[in-house]
Amino acid sequence: MTLFFRRLVRRPLTLFGLVLVGLHLLVALVAPWITPYDPLKLLDAPLEPPTEAYWLGTDELGRDFFSRLLLGGQISIIAAACAGLIAAIGGGLLGLASAYHRGLFDDVVSRLVEMKLSIPSILLVSLFVTGFGQSLAVLVLTMGLIYMMGVIRTSRAMGLVILEQGYVKAAQLRGESSFAIILREMLPNILDLLTVEFALRTSSALLLVSALSFLGLGVSPPTPDWGLMIQSGLQSIRSEPWLVLAPSLCISSLVIGINFATEGVAGLLGLEAARGATGK
Amino acid sequence: MLIAALRRVLLSCITLVMLTVFIFIATEIMPGDALDVSLSADEIAMIPPERLAKMKQDLGLDRPAPERLLSFLGGVLTLDFGKTLISKTPVTAIIGYPLRNSLILAGAVLLLAIPLALTIGIAAAVWQGRAIDNIASTGAIIGYSIPEFVIGTVLVMIFAVAWPVFPATITASTNDAALTLLAASPLAVVTVLIGSIAYLARLLRTGMVDALAKDFVERLRLTGIPEWRIVFLHALPAAIVPSLTAMALYAAALVSGIVVVELVFAYPGLGQELVRGVTRREVHVVQAIALCSAALVVALNFLADMAILALDPRTRRA
Repeated sequence: MTLFFRRLVRRPLTLFGLVLVGLHLLVALVAPWITPYDPLKLLDAPLEPPTEAYWLGTDELGRDFFSRLLLGGQISIIAAACAGLIAAIGGGLLGLASAYHRGLFDDVVSRLVEMKLSIPSILLVSLFVTGFGQSLAVLVLTMGLIYMMGVIRTSRAMGLVILEQGYVKAAQLRGESSFAIILREMLPNILDLLTVEFALRTSSALLLVSALSFLGLGVSPPTPDWGLMIQSGLQSIRSEPWLVLAPSLCISSLVIGINFATEGVAGLLGLEAARGATGK
Repeated sequence: MLIAALRRVLLSCITLVMLTVFIFIATEIMPGDALDVSLSADEIAMIPPERLAKMKQDLGLDRPAPERLLSFLGGVLTLDFGKTLISKTPVTAIIGYPLRNSLILAGAVLLLAIPLALTIGIAAAVWQGRAIDNIASTGAIIGYSIPEFVIGTVLVMIFAVAWPVFPATITASTNDAALTLLAASPLAVVTVLIGSIAYLARLLRTGMVDALAKDFVERLRLTGIPEWRIVFLHALPAAIVPSLTAMALYAAALVSGIVVVELVFAYPGLGQELVRGVTRREVHVVQAIALCSAALVVALNFLADMAILALDPRTRRA
């Protein structure tokens, strides 16, 4: 473990990424207590320039922009992390089960994965939002499902390698159930992979959720959210460009941080994260 | 070869049918029917029950779901996606030109992205671990970490607001000629291009690094063949074949990127229609757009499979 940290320090970009993510998480966590104003309250004239009272001015409705910026990541981060968790756990178990059972189960799962990979993520979310209505729960579940498919692929491939190991054979000879073998013998061996997958899928989900909010299909107003803030800031891009730049910087630095950190940590764990195969 | 090709044709068809069924189920079967989805509860409460029943009958919603699924499948086969629920415009008329426009945008992006990504990917792999590789790899991570709408907005700020050389939004109309449309939207093309190059260059670099580490490359070097011949004539084909599938899958991400960028620049494409369709809950429009792009991705996957079959004799035995 100390060796792991010593190697980590030698990778400046990884460290930079970890610090960025840490800062973002910290701000998102303590934001409700440190915002100078109520983010939903109309305080002053709209589109005020930055002053001592309002550090980043007011937005198009006269709400304190700095307070909204501090809170703007919360919902997306929670939604993306939930989706990443669903994807990593569900995908890991399904991938292992599919590797273990082969046969019909494997065929069905593989076809489903292939099918999903043919529908662009934004369209899949659009379909579900049209069918089930626009809610955060629908969004999280759909994203979890979307990113689960990629995780199934990687953990199935790793499961096939693990199946060849002596301890799986030993467990089979002991007469343990397939469920117990998958959970106790195989799952612990892909925890590294699942951690990396969780981080990768969370960063993809963040990009997707902010894009959806930007399109008006994700987080609904008046909740402060970076994607929404960029969208409404576009109208005053000529006179108040910081209303667009500040949330752009926030969402970009968060995703860049996650990806730098994941890339480095995956390299240290000996996993091939160079796939970047998550797509957007 | 022929059997392997036929098998892939069949698999693609099965995938398409399953996708169609899935799209139908996701939008129409679950809660209520298409009418409940496109009207709000208040609107439904306002309509007298007998008129509501008549509307449902007109739309064919009183029939059982399996029957509607069959007629949906039949409609898809004849490229008839039905009419919008409220204005009764045929869906094909709504998405025709936007589909063409989105394809133009995607084509322009790919035409520029592939040579640029090839150059960067090969250079990074050949000079692996050197400055150029580090810059390219770090740049790629940054490139695909920034949301498309942020890249687009920043480009607008630089090239349309601070230094006004390009228009911020696209003024071309939906049925303009292809070149007029592209000439009006350079910033939109560049926005999608940045993410695409980041993704594809990274993919090609990985493939090239793997290929250059193979034994056959070492053997070629020992026979004294010049390095540039090894890179371009021997390693590159070996690198491209395994990345073809991943490239075809990239088409799905490209569609998502294009949807967003179209809204940033008001480009008259499918993305506009999609968002309008979802917010107005026009089920048939959303279905048709989802189906078109899914069919595109399946078709590209099929082409990639065929290219692999043609280029790599080992796969023909399957």
